[in-house]
Amino acid sequence: MILHDNPASPFCRKVQVLARETGQMDQIELAYAVGSPTAPDKMPTAQNPLGKIPALILDDGTALYDSRVITRYLADHGSPAMVPADTPYPVLAREALADGIMDAAVLMVYEVRCRPEHERSADWVEGQWTKVIRGLDSIEGSVPAGFDLGHIALACALGYLDFRHDDRNWRGGRPNLAAWFEEVSKRDSLKATEPHV
Amino acid sequence: MRLYSSPTSPYVRKVHVVLRETEQWDDVEMAPSGGTPLDSGTNPVALNPLGKIPTLERDNGATIYDSRVICRFLDDRVQAGLYATGARQWELLTLEATADGILDAVILMVYERRLRPEDKQFQPWIDGQWRKVETALDTLERRWMSHLSGKLNIGQIAIGCALGYLDLRFEDRNWRKGRDDLAKFYDTFSQRDSMIATVPQG
Repeated sequence: MILHDNPASPFCRKVQVLARETGQMDQIELAYAVGSPTAPDKMPTAQNPLGKIPALILDDGTALYDSRVITRYLADHGSPAMVPADTPYPVLAREALADGIMDAAVLMVYEVRCRPEHERSADWVEGQWTKVIRGLDSIEGSVPAGFDLGHIALACALGYLDFRHDDRNWRGGRPNLAAWFEEVSKRDSLKATEPHV
Repeated sequence: MRLYSSPTSPYVRKVHVVLRETEQWDDVEMAPSGGTPLDSGTNPVALNPLGKIPTLERDNGATIYDSRVICRFLDDRVQAGLYATGARQWELLTLEATADGILDAVILMVYERRLRPEDKQFQPWIDGQWRKVETALDTLERRWMSHLSGKLNIGQIAIGCALGYLDLRFEDRNWRKGRDDLAKFYDTFSQRDSMIATVPQG
């Protein structure tokens, strides 16, 4: 399989971490991609017309995207189970929450990367950050036990906040989440996929 | 169950269409809500901290979102078979993701006009989002028509709702032009009772 990937993308990282946790990384060849909504030139648009990564190309040529579809596929094809068969929906909803945090955090980055300074809106950026902090606060009181796809997604979201929004100090006032992240970051799958440019 | 809903959200519409097509409409109470990234408004932030709809409060079990998770749950709940099995299920999920990607791009275009002062509306951003929509529509026309015919599936529902939203917000961009097969699909699909009952308002 070929994974169109970028080492800075939290959505790509989620896929890679899951692949590593379920013993499928040795079946995956990485293809470097880079781009943004205003400069998609090196994105795999022939495989994913939305011009986004990750996209996973199966051995028979089928292209799977977006990250949610790929994680479901890999969870289905590897072990241990990262989405419980009997009660998948709370886990999938926690993945959706982490994805929503990533979406907001990525839009904040694009605001700077894709626009000249006078076209940027502080209100828009703060609106996105509000989603991030509400998301984090909702988890702080009850960081869920165990380790499943929801945890993988959350760890990738937090790693991305460190990578791109370190100045916002998400750990402030969230000791439980910070402690959880410190612990989970020791996993080989997360150590091997730390975001970088 | 209680579904936080708005009559214009295309993501909510997907859930409404699934509810109607799978005869679960009467099992759900609708809670009207709405908001934007700048103002969560009446969206249920205590249940979904992202401040987004649809959000489904279940009678027994955790509250779930987003629209994809809810649709999958509803399908599972009555074994409706909207997702197929085997290799085809991954294709249908990718088709559903294509529809959501179109909607994500279109909504960013709407927000660009609606939520930003005029001097901060950046045309290359709008063009970049529209390019995603066009490339995706071309791919549907070229590669996905077989999945858009035959027995009802989640891909058809998601694409139907995405095309309906394009008509609502960007009719002037004429997505049908040069995409005869896709236009034909939508002409037929939009005549389903579930689609007529959920035409976006406002």
